[in-house]
Amino acid sequence: MSALTLIARDELWLMRRSRVSVIAAALLIVLVVIAGITSVAHQSNVADTRARLQAQVDEEFDNQPSRHPHRMVHFGHFIFRPLPPLAAFDPGIDAFTGNAMFLEGHRQNSANFGDVRQSSILVRFGQLTPAFVLQTLAPLLIIFLGYGAVARERGAGTLRQLFMQGVSAGTLIAGKLLALATVAALIAIPAMSVLIFVAAQPGAAAGPIALTAAGYLTYLALWSIIVVLVSASVARPRNALLALLGLWSVTVILLPRIAPDLAATAVPQPTRLETDLTLQRELRAMGDSHNPDDPVFAAFKQRVLRQYGVRRVEDLPVNYKGLLAVEGERMTSELFDRYASEGFARQARQSATMDAIGTLSPAVAMRRLSMAAAGTDLAGHARFLDQAEAYRYDLVQRLNRLQADAVSFEDDAAKSSDTAAEQRSRIDPHHWHAMPDFHFAPPEPGDLVRRASPAAVMLLLWLLVPALLLAPAARRLEGVRS
Amino acid sequence: MTYHEPSGLPLLIANLVVDYGAHRVLNGLDLSIRPGEIYALLGGNGAGKSTTLAAIMGFVPPASGEVRVCGVAPGSAPVQARRAIAYLPENVALYEHLTARENIQYFLGISSERRTNAEIEAAFNAAGLQEDAFNRRVAGFSKGMRQKVAIALALLRHVPLVLLDEPTSGLDPRATQDFNRLLGGLRERGSAVLMVTHDLLSAADTADRIGFLDAGRIVQESVAEGPDRYDVRALHRHFARPVAA
Ligand SMILES: Nc1ncnc2c1ncn2[C@@H]1O[C@H](COP(=O)(O)OP(=O)(O)OP(=O)(O)O)[C@@H](O)[C@H]1O
Ligand SMILES: [Mg+2]
Repeated sequence: MSALTLIARDELWLMRRSRVSVIAAALLIVLVVIAGITSVAHQSNVADTRARLQAQVDEEFDNQPSRHPHRMVHFGHFIFRPLPPLAAFDPGIDAFTGNAMFLEGHRQNSANFGDVRQSSILVRFGQLTPAFVLQTLAPLLIIFLGYGAVARERGAGTLRQLFMQGVSAGTLIAGKLLALATVAALIAIPAMSVLIFVAAQPGAAAGPIALTAAGYLTYLALWSIIVVLVSASVARPRNALLALLGLWSVTVILLPRIAPDLAATAVPQPTRLETDLTLQRELRAMGDSHNPDDPVFAAFKQRVLRQYGVRRVEDLPVNYKGLLAVEGERMTSELFDRYASEGFARQARQSATMDAIGTLSPAVAMRRLSMAAAGTDLAGHARFLDQAEAYRYDLVQRLNRLQADAVSFEDDAAKSSDTAAEQRSRIDPHHWHAMPDFHFAPPEPGDLVRRASPAAVMLLLWLLVPALLLAPAARRLEGVRS
Repeated sequence: MTYHEPSGLPLLIANLVVDYGAHRVLNGLDLSIRPGEIYALLGGNGAGKSTTLAAIMGFVPPASGEVRVCGVAPGSAPVQARRAIAYLPENVALYEHLTARENIQYFLGISSERRTNAEIEAAFNAAGLQEDAFNRRVAGFSKGMRQKVAIALALLRHVPLVLLDEPTSGLDPRATQDFNRLLGGLRERGSAVLMVTHDLLSAADTADRIGFLDAGRIVQESVAEGPDRYDVRALHRHFARPVAA
């Protein structure tokens, strides 16, 4: 057996002899397994619920009786965001952002019903997901099992005796690293099994899953290297433990928590209330379609009359009220879109700030990679909101067009005073069936990989730093006095 | 390794200077040992004996001067130099979680030297370790027992240079006698031995040369001559009152 494998084997043997180490490692592996099982179960549960609710509301919409089309605009429609397959591994911000939307005319609603708002306070402590266990707890285990790898031998004096057997510090460090990497691999096995399970699900794509797997393996390797590096660089095991715990608390606990706050401070986002107030103000300034003297809508009326070559709205071949509804929706949606894209631009700038903070912490880089590849990050949420809005606009405008084409102006104008006219202004329910259903178009796998790659590059750079520091650390170690 | 070069003496130290910060510990040390020669290095506490050994092993860089182990400079090629050295430290460090035998097997495995179980047991016996201790964890061993395990390891490494830092300090008189016999075995094998000791009698019994280290250099050297080998009284006088440089 070579010196390297001998050193690795002895280190592993020592870990196995320590009851604390064995229990800690077993506990973590069990945690990964439990996290994997509950997360997969939760995800399929959520997917079933959302699919069932979606079918239910689709049916309710289709089964509406004869109604005036504008009543349907306000009856509205519910849509649910289907979870991507990798959400079983890393649900990302799904629990916080909400995943159901009520769509109606004249307004853009935000997504609602995130798990966090619905369930007990416990969820706020962080869900037990494989991503959480690997990102947060696995480094802690690697630290506890590895901090003494080299420092312990230095403190005990066996390091010098080892070197006197003609082993190089490089071989020694490689042996210790091999032992720690073996433990990391043991943690990775259940996690990779979850990923393989996810890969077998319908709709799962190989690219993002492979990137996720590579990312977590890199992350675990990175921590193994950091731990051995620190252990080889300090004189006492206790100092190695303190230094590593400090590094862990700052990079794994502190920075990911304060990164969003720092980003929010750097790029302030107005509150929902502030946005609503200014939006209402702009809406009022936009004009009032019910006021015959309103300049904006008076101009619109002139344009329509000219287009159809008639003098009065009553002479139009279509229902002017319907045209008015189409135009009103177009104008308000334009305004909403502007607000939404301003909001997204700010969020994109916040994300860029988070990326910058990510350079300070491999855990932040890992988190961004994991969520981006899973499609459960902010971009994934934005994609849902975009498609929801496109669907809402299309649905509302179809209903408005129905009002213009299928309801006569006379009936529409008289419907509040004349019950016969009101009856005639209702249109047949087969129109509701004809409305398209919402189908979320998931992002292309290549798109997910592309979004995750900046974080992947950052993680690789992180791997490079301690890896490059290993050689000088070995050189110093070879000449240590004790 | 170039054992047969003229400069390939097991140990060659020329005009060695070693500083610990501003403190000069070795100041122009000259010391060479031939194959099969036993050299006893004596000196007061803090004279720089252990530092000399550390410099030979490449754990302390020389400020100036030369150290060669079989022609190799331990400062620039520590791994290569260390392969030619067996070392018995002043404070023996062993793996507490391993038995005596496992410790030996592990260290020999690291140096890629193969020894049979019989050879290992023979070395334990030669070092005077009682048989019931071979397969016991060293965690319960006394200082002398640890010393014997480390001596066995030094014996099992067939190397040109053996460094011993106070090898008899934890040994009872019988074990000390046994140990002195072992040195004879090393001499016959052709290994050069550098032994740091405070035990003048043992040194006089076993060493081919005895050097006194003071103020960072060898201030006096005696060579064994005739049937009485040394004038022990004179040595003792010297040892008790080393000259100031
Ligand atoms: N790591 C160190 N850092 C600074 N000074 C040291 C170090 N090791 C030894 N010294 C100093 O170098 C001098 C020589 O120490 P050394 O251990 O070589 O003495 P020694 O001859 O082996 O003594 P003893 O007989 O007590 O073992 C002493 O003054 C000691 O304080
Ligand atoms: Mg000493």
